[in-house]
Amino acid sequence: MSQTSSTEEKLDHLKHYFVDSDQQFEASKMGMWIFLVTEILFFGGLFVAYIVYRSWYPELYLLASEELHTFWGAVNTAVLIGSSLTVAMAIRSAQLNQIKGLIINLWITIGLALTFMVIKYFEYSEKFAKGILPGSAYSYEGIEHEKANIFFSIYYMMTGLHGVHVLIGIGLMLWLVFKAKKKVFHSGYYTPVEITGLYWHLVDIIWIFLFPLLYLID
Amino acid sequence: MSGHHISSAKFLWGIALALFMLTFLTVAVTWIHIPSPWNVVVAIAIAVVKALIVAAFFMNLYWDSKFNVILFVMSIAFFLLMIGITLLDTLYRTDPIPSF
Repeated sequence: MSQTSSTEEKLDHLKHYFVDSDQQFEASKMGMWIFLVTEILFFGGLFVAYIVYRSWYPELYLLASEELHTFWGAVNTAVLIGSSLTVAMAIRSAQLNQIKGLIINLWITIGLALTFMVIKYFEYSEKFAKGILPGSAYSYEGIEHEKANIFFSIYYMMTGLHGVHVLIGIGLMLWLVFKAKKKVFHSGYYTPVEITGLYWHLVDIIWIFLFPLLYLID
Repeated sequence: MSGHHISSAKFLWGIALALFMLTFLTVAVTWIHIPSPWNVVVAIAIAVVKALIVAAFFMNLYWDSKFNVILFVMSIAFFLLMIGITLLDTLYRTDPIPSF
């Protein structure tokens, strides 16, 4: 696998139990899609919690979302969409054998992902300073609702789990950069780039729903 | 059916631009204060359109094997089932809402 031979066929990546490179690629991609199905249902449970509590306390959601800054939520949405673009460009570079472009696009993606996390860090620390903490640790007095902590427990669980996914994504991208520098990827083999891209786009899709559901309640 | 669809850079930028514009739109509609519940419907509708654009053209489902499309659609179907069955309980409880 990590062999850096420059043979003509470049089939180092091909496992003996696959007929050819394409079959191996399709099998990996299908496996990733099955994983993404479990991810959708994993986040799905939290979305159900969000919906159930919103149906019970609609007025709470209106009040509590005032504490979230729509501007920074929108910036983070744009940052993640931008990173989805750079991941798609990274895959395109790999498909065209442009390894330098692949590495550059991966670095931009990592930079955007870190930007997202830094913005999230400032959002969290501003809330922590006010005493807006999840569950029983909640001590903020600014919201006239006895269940105010529930909204923020859901907020922290959803954005927190999403943030963990962004961090894992950063780790995967760093691994891809490392692999790409070792000249592992070429137009005939870029499966890890493709399936990491699928993962990253799903993380983007989840944020696309989190943003209006948490920040844009007016 | 081809798993190796290569999108042009121009196309990918176009998709991103559409997503940026829809993000702006979803923020802009909150300024005109659409009455409830339509504000939620509009917000979700825009999010669904954005998600479908990402799935179809960034995740390449548009060109991908139909099996992967079925996987994605089924996950959404089961997610909706999870929402529906849970709401059948929580929306129709006669007892007061639990303390948590």
